[in-house]
Amino acid sequence: MMKKKSLVSILTLSMAISLLSGCGGGSAKKNDGSTTGNSANKTTETSDGEVVEITFMGWEASPLETKAVEDGIAEFEKQNPNIKVNYTPAGKGGSDYNAKMIASAAAGSLPDVLFVASDTYRDMVARGAIEDLTDMFDSELSFNDYIESSKQIMEVDGRVYGLHSCTVSPIAYYNKDVFDAAGIKYPSADPADSWTIEEFRDIAKKLTTDDIYGCYGLENVADTLNAQLLSNNGKRYNDDYTKSIINSPENKEVLKIIKEIRTVDKSMPDATTLDSVGMTSKQMLQTGKVAILIDGSWSMQELADTGMNVGIAPMPSYARVTTTGQAHVHSISKTSKHKEEAWKFLKFLAGYDYLGAVCHTGLWMPNRISFYEEENWDKWMNPDIHGEDYKLMLNYFKNAEVDPSALQKTAKGRDIVIEETDMYFKQDQDLNQTLENIDRRINEAIQENLEDMK
Amino acid sequence: MKNNKTRKISKLKNDSKWAALMLTPNILGFLMFMLIPMVATFALSFTKYDMLRPPKFIGFNNYIKMFKDPIAREVTLNTIIYTVITVPTGMAISLLLAVLLDQKIALKRFYRACYFLPAISSMVVVSIVWQWIYNPEYGILNYFLSLIGINGPKWLQDARTSLVAIAIVGIWKNAGYNMLLFLSGLQGISTSYYEAATLDGASKWQQFKYVTLPLLKPTTFFIFIMSIIGSFQVFDQVMLMTKGGPGRSSSVLVHYLYQNAFQYFDMGYACALAYLLFFLVLILTLFNMRAEKKMGEIY
Repeated sequence: MMKKKSLVSILTLSMAISLLSGCGGGSAKKNDGSTTGNSANKTTETSDGEVVEITFMGWEASPLETKAVEDGIAEFEKQNPNIKVNYTPAGKGGSDYNAKMIASAAAGSLPDVLFVASDTYRDMVARGAIEDLTDMFDSELSFNDYIESSKQIMEVDGRVYGLHSCTVSPIAYYNKDVFDAAGIKYPSADPADSWTIEEFRDIAKKLTTDDIYGCYGLENVADTLNAQLLSNNGKRYNDDYTKSIINSPENKEVLKIIKEIRTVDKSMPDATTLDSVGMTSKQMLQTGKVAILIDGSWSMQELADTGMNVGIAPMPSYARVTTTGQAHVHSISKTSKHKEEAWKFLKFLAGYDYLGAVCHTGLWMPNRISFYEEENWDKWMNPDIHGEDYKLMLNYFKNAEVDPSALQKTAKGRDIVIEETDMYFKQDQDLNQTLENIDRRINEAIQENLEDMK
Repeated sequence: MKNNKTRKISKLKNDSKWAALMLTPNILGFLMFMLIPMVATFALSFTKYDMLRPPKFIGFNNYIKMFKDPIAREVTLNTIIYTVITVPTGMAISLLLAVLLDQKIALKRFYRACYFLPAISSMVVVSIVWQWIYNPEYGILNYFLSLIGINGPKWLQDARTSLVAIAIVGIWKNAGYNMLLFLSGLQGISTSYYEAATLDGASKWQQFKYVTLPLLKPTTFFIFIMSIIGSFQVFDQVMLMTKGGPGRSSSVLVHYLYQNAFQYFDMGYACALAYLLFFLVLILTLFNMRAEKKMGEIY
C-alpha cells in the first residue's frame, strides 16, 4: 500500500515537473519566434515596422482626469502616427497607485512611461527604477523655465529623472450663494489683501448655521497641512531633509488653531464624517452644506463642471501668505525598450498641446514660467474656469513653496503624519506628544532608509 | 499464477499513471501558487528586498527588527483582539442560527438564504454599506441606538471602537457560512439520540448540552480552526473601511504587511511578517488539535 502511494506521488511529481518544463519551453519559443498574440508586435507588422507602441501608466483621481489624459494622448498620436500610446489608469492614486507600480516593477513589467508621485519619486530614483533624463533634458528643455517648486522636486543631486508634470496647490473655494445669503463679503483673491486665519475663523463662524458648516478641509492633513505650517513659518524638515523638525512652537500653534475651529468654533465638521455620508467634500460645497472648502487646486475642474457659483481665494494666512506646490513627475522606466519614443512622448506631455490642454480643463496648473506670461495665457486659460480671481492668484501659484512631503526621505512620512495627527484631531492625544511622536518615528524611518540606500 | 501477478502489476502501473495524470493539474497549481511562493517568501524574509533592486541577504535582521518594532507589536495585538472578539461570538451566533433554523419553522429556507447572503456578497460592497450604517451622524445604527436613548459612538472614526466595528462586520459576514456548516453537522446527528434522551426525560437544554454539543464536536472544531485562521488573515474590511485608522487602532498584521510590501519598499520585512503570521496560526492550530484530542478522551 505504502509503495503504491509513493509510486503515485513520484510519478505525479515527475509528470508535474516535465509538464512545467514543457510549459516553459513552449512559451519561450513563442516569445522568440514571432508575433502571435502580442498586440504591440501586431501593430508593428501592420504598418511595415513603423509603429511603435509604448505603454503609459497613470492614476485615475477622477474620470475627468482620465479623460483629460486620454484627449492628450489622442493629440500626440495624431502628431506622431508612428507611435501608439497604450494608457492604463492604475488605481486611484496615492498608496493604491504605488502598490500597483511597485508590483509591476517587481514583475519586470513597468510601463515605458509612468506617473511617479512626488513623494515616491526620490525612492524610485534611489532604487534605480527610472531613467536618468538629464542629458536629454539639458539639450532640449530649459530647466530655468520651470517654477521654483518644480525645479526642487525634479532635481536629485544635480540630475533629473522625471519631467515635472504640472503644479497643484491647496487653495480656498467658497460657495458664493451661501456668502450672499448670509450677507458676507467675499474674501479677496488678491494675495496682498487676502484673509488671515483670524478673519477666516470669524467668517466661518458667521456662516455656520444648523444646516451649514462654515468650512472644511483644514484637517485634511495629506493635502493642506503643510501649506498652513509653512504659512506660520513652521518647518517640517531641516535643510537637507535628514531630520524631521515638526515639533516647534509655530507648528503647534497651527495645529491648535485647526482643532479649535472644529471643537471651539464648531464651524467645521469632523474630518471623516463628510466622506462617509456618501457625499464628497466638493459635493457638500456645491450643495451649500459647506461654505468654504480648503482643497487642492485640481478640484477647480470638478467644481466648474457642476456649474455652481464658486469663488476662489488663497489659503487663510498665519504669519505670511503662501501655499505649497507639488505634483507628480512623468518618468521613463529603466526597463523601457522604446526610450527614444518615450522621451518624445514625455516632451509632448510638457508642452502646450498636453499640459496646456489639461490646464485648460482646470485640473492642473502650469509649472513653467513662460506659461504664466500674459501673451501665453490664452494657450491654457479657460474663461469658464479661470476667472479674474484666478489671474490675481497667478503669482501665488508660481511662487508656491515646494511641499516638504515631496522631498522627504522616507516613504513612511505621509502615513506617520496621518496616523499621529489622527490621534490628535480625533482622539485627543496630547499635541506635544503628537509632534514628538512624528519627529521620532520619521527620524527612525529616515535613518533606516538612509542605511538602506548605502 | 505468475501471469496473473504480472497482470496485476501492469494494472497497478496503469492505475497509477491515470491517478498521476488526474492529479497533475491540482499538484501543478499547488506547486506554482502555494509551495513555490511559500518557499520564496521564507527565503525573502532573510533579505532586504524593495522589489526594484535584487534582494540582499541580511540574515535574521528582519526578524530582529520585528521584535523591536512597536507597530508590529501593536498590529499583532490588534489581530489577536479581533480574533478574540470575532471567533467565539461569531461561532455562538452561527450555532444559535443553525439550531433555530434546524427546527420545523415556516420560511426556513428563506431565512437560511438570508443569513447566507453576506457570505456570498463582495467585501467591497459590504464595506461601503457598513460605512453608511456606521456613520455617526446619519447612520442607521446610531439612529436605532438613539431610539433606546444611547448616544452611539463614532464607530469607525474613533480609535476606541474602530476595531470592534470592523469585527462586527467580520462576524456578520461569516455567520451565515458557519451556520451552514453547523446545519450540516446538526443534520448528521441521528434523531434516535434525541428520542432516547426524551425517553430518559432530558430537557431541551440537556439534550442540547449532552447530545447536540458533543456530537457536533468535529464540526465545531473545524469551524473554530478555520475561523481563527480566517480572522488572523483579516484585511479586506480594514483596508476598505478604515485603512488601519484612526492612528493604528484598527490596523492588523496583514494590513501592516501590505503597507511594508507595497508602500514602504520593504518586501523582505513584509515576508518576515508573513512568517510571523504563519507561525502564530500554526501554533494555534496545533494547540487546537491537541485540545481536540484531549476533549475526545473526555467524551
